[in-house]
Amino acid sequence: MDYNMEDTQNPVEAQKVAQRNDTQSVTKRLQAELMQLMLSPSPGISAFPDADGDLLAWTATITGPTETPYEGLTLKLSFKFPNDYPYSPPTVLFKTPIYHPNVDFSGRICLDILKDKWSAVYNVSSVLLSLQSLLGEPNNPLNAQAAELWDSNQEEFKRHVLARHQDLDDE
Amino acid sequence: MLSTVPLNAGRRRVFGSVFSPSPAHSLKSDNPVTSFESTDSSSTVKADSQSNSFATIGGSTDTASADEEILDHARAAAAEFLSVPNLGFELLYAYRDTDGSELLKEWDRLAPPSKECAEALGYLMRTSPWTLFEWYGNDIRRHFLMNFRSGLTKLLASPEKDGLLRTIVDCLQLARRIYLAPVLHFLVPLTPHQGAYLGQLQRAFHTVVSYSLPWREVSKLLASELTRDAVVILGIDTLDEAFDAEISEDEMEVERSYSVSYKDWREETPEARENLMAEGEDHRVTIARDQLLAFLNGLQLVGLGADKAQKVFAEVMNILMGDFIQAAYAGEWEAPSTVPQHLGQWIENVYARLAVQVLSVIHSDVESGTMDVSFGDVEKWRTVGIARLGMLRVSELFDVVVDWPASSGAVEDLRHFVTQTKPRAYVTHWFSLNLQQRLLHPGASTVEILQVYISVIRAFHLLDPNGVLLDRIARPIRRYLRDRDDTVKVIVGGLLSDSEVVEGPGPADTLVELASELTRLNHHAMQNKNSEIDFDDMSWLPDPIDAAPDYRKLKTADVIDSLVSLFDSKEMFVKEMQTLLADRLIQNRRDYLRETAVLELLKIRFGDSALQACEVMLKDLTDSRRLDHGVRNDQKMWGDLEASPTELHAKILSRFFWPEFQDQEFKVPDEITNLQKTYSKCFEKRKNSRKLMWHNALGQVTVELEFENHSFSGEVTTWQATIIYAFQDSTPDSPAKRSISELADQFEMSVPLVRSACLFWVSKRALHEVTRDTFEVVEVLEHEHEHAPDSDSDSEAGEADAAAAAEAAAAAAAKETAEAAAMEKMNVHWQFIVGMLTNQGPMPLARIIMMLKIAVPGGFPFSDEELREFLGGMVTKGKLEIVNGGNYKIVH
Repeated sequence: MDYNMEDTQNPVEAQKVAQRNDTQSVTKRLQAELMQLMLSPSPGISAFPDADGDLLAWTATITGPTETPYEGLTLKLSFKFPNDYPYSPPTVLFKTPIYHPNVDFSGRICLDILKDKWSAVYNVSSVLLSLQSLLGEPNNPLNAQAAELWDSNQEEFKRHVLARHQDLDDE
Repeated sequence: MLSTVPLNAGRRRVFGSVFSPSPAHSLKSDNPVTSFESTDSSSTVKADSQSNSFATIGGSTDTASADEEILDHARAAAAEFLSVPNLGFELLYAYRDTDGSELLKEWDRLAPPSKECAEALGYLMRTSPWTLFEWYGNDIRRHFLMNFRSGLTKLLASPEKDGLLRTIVDCLQLARRIYLAPVLHFLVPLTPHQGAYLGQLQRAFHTVVSYSLPWREVSKLLASELTRDAVVILGIDTLDEAFDAEISEDEMEVERSYSVSYKDWREETPEARENLMAEGEDHRVTIARDQLLAFLNGLQLVGLGADKAQKVFAEVMNILMGDFIQAAYAGEWEAPSTVPQHLGQWIENVYARLAVQVLSVIHSDVESGTMDVSFGDVEKWRTVGIARLGMLRVSELFDVVVDWPASSGAVEDLRHFVTQTKPRAYVTHWFSLNLQQRLLHPGASTVEILQVYISVIRAFHLLDPNGVLLDRIARPIRRYLRDRDDTVKVIVGGLLSDSEVVEGPGPADTLVELASELTRLNHHAMQNKNSEIDFDDMSWLPDPIDAAPDYRKLKTADVIDSLVSLFDSKEMFVKEMQTLLADRLIQNRRDYLRETAVLELLKIRFGDSALQACEVMLKDLTDSRRLDHGVRNDQKMWGDLEASPTELHAKILSRFFWPEFQDQEFKVPDEITNLQKTYSKCFEKRKNSRKLMWHNALGQVTVELEFENHSFSGEVTTWQATIIYAFQDSTPDSPAKRSISELADQFEMSVPLVRSACLFWVSKRALHEVTRDTFEVVEVLEHEHEHAPDSDSDSEAGEADAAAAAEAAAAAAAKETAEAAAMEKMNVHWQFIVGMLTNQGPMPLARIIMMLKIAVPGGFPFSDEELREFLGGMVTKGKLEIVNGGNYKIVH
């Protein structure tokens, strides 16, 4: 590796080095976020890195907000952080099956801050808080049927939600 | 019966060679066997019995020659003359110490042959000398086996081994003379080919001797025999004696002329050194040498010498070289070392001399095979000697390193040894083992380990300036040091310790050496450190061949650099530095020159930015002194100061740059609080938008106490001052009385801390404990002279007890705060655990620990047991539950 370090003429090598440094800074950033989450936990949300040790994959938990069809439900999500985080958004998916206008059946989420509106000032906790509020006020329908039902029949919607929900806790 | 088999075969071969095989003969070839067996059973051999094989053979060769009869007669006469009487071994044994002439008479071996017999012999020698000698050779074997063998075997088996081999050799020499005397005297002069005939008989004798005495036994005896004399000749015994026997002065003078001792040798001038071993020899040595050579001569004569004895000799010499080196050089570590020269001389003058002498005696039979000691051999021995010396030094190396630098001579010796890859590997292997056994275990304190490590760095730098060996040795030490919690603390403490004050044996728990090392900083060492490869370096060399892949060349034995680089980042080091510096700076002292100096020196190593925090801390102190002056002036101007007799000085610390203090929070007396308020006001006027936060627990108070008949003045801690302040209203008539709970409430101070402070004042005789947990001011101190003299010591002892109690109480208080802090920390970890279990599902303890180690910044400071206990507590509190198979699960 020392050899590579000297030979900065080679663009590929230089990129590699830069990438490695990136990974380090991502790890640092994620560590700081974790610490912040632990020191000042927000109610209803929680997240923790997966066991593989490199901090780039997390699992998060949202408790369904009161006065929404999701009240009392525990929803799990997976976070995958790219190497240039926080300059690119993490990939967030619902792991728990959920019936929601903004979420499709494989758990993909339609939320602007996870796409084009992403900014480096967001973090895990802000993403989770946004998702928590999204549960109460869906906006951008990915699941058209759910969107329609949300507007027309809340009772029926809640029935769908409960039918689809499935606790992942004790696998 | 065993004996007959080889004898038989040998005999048959002999017949075959002498007498042309005829069909008739081959038919009768069994004859000799039967005749021999009959001989075996008969107790004496008579000439007329003719059962003697020679005669029988003569008889059996029934060729119809004209001379046959004459030949027969001659043979009979010769046989009668030559055959040895079967007198048995006891007779031989009885004469073992004589010169043998008596014995020969006894055995009738010197009587000249009768005229008839002489003629017969002459006839035989002329016609068929080989047959005669063949026969006699066989007869010698037969006789030896019959008469001496069992006796010798018994002798060999005797439990008394000392000198046994000498006796055996003596006996064998006599036997040899018995057999050869008549031949030498009467037969050999008759022929011109004496050498060949004698050789034949010798060989016959040698074969039977080596056949009858099992070499396994003999070689053991020979080895011990050789060792006994060689130890004297090589001077090893005198070396051992030198330790215990204190010989009288005169004798010492006499012995001085010859000595192989390294100590004596060192004291001589270089010229005299040359001669010490080469010239003159101790009397004992000469005797031993003569004895040994005579003995070996005998050994050679009776056929036990030659190759086999050479092998034994080589083994003995091999062992003795090691013994000598062990005896002469163990523990001789002074520098400059001349051990290799001394060893070289010893090998040349003493060792090689003995080898040459011995080998010239026990040479092989074959002329071409005689072993000469060439100059190349001596060189080889010298190399072997150096290698042995190296091994000795390696075995001593740990002690050498511990004794450093008094033992640098030993390392010099080792340098001669580590010239090749294999010895280098040997050194590192053994030393690492030694380190594991003797240093890197929980029994050794971190200071000890660091001290040895420093010595190792210095010693190995001398041994191998490239640092490859050091690199290998240091790895396990460094790995181990990294695991120790207090390593950083010890290093930083050492750096900050006062090298000028502590000369000589410093306190055991600080590495004073580091401080002096730091000031001895070599600026050249700092150069070239950043650039990995300097392309203009014309003296660049590739890494040594046995270097590890990540080996980094050390230009100097920079101890501090090695220690600091123990840790991956400087952060840890700087953090510890901050904590220690904070402790020192908080103390009430006039100047902080030492700290400033150390900081400057460290800045050269770490760069300014790394130690920025420390620098700010020092700057805080100088700034706050100036500010303090300013505030004081302001207060004077406003006349606030007259209100109180108490002076308040503050140290203003920039909180961001100082480490966390473990505070015991409490309220100070109102008077002080007021002072603090005015002080803050002044400060805030001078420094806009800054606020003061008072750390009541840090600081010192100068207290003056006036009692009825005694007083106290001194510097105490703030909480101690606070407690005694509560007794302010005490008067001689009604001494103030307070209970601990009262005080604790009043100042919001923890109970152990109050108790500690009270006990402190008891030790100062300001308070005394009236009832449990209630203290009262001692207004009237009963003077010592009013008591009996012995109560004086009582009260002193009481005072000491009280002081000890106060200390213990303070420790308890400190522990309580520490525990509270630990609990606080645990709460943070609890959040981690909650997060983990919420998101990742139930987990067993081991996995929780593993995850915590990964996820918690700075590592997880608690042991597995502590965590288990903590989690157990959470289970009882109902926050956790244990589900299938010991997995912890969060309870929602």
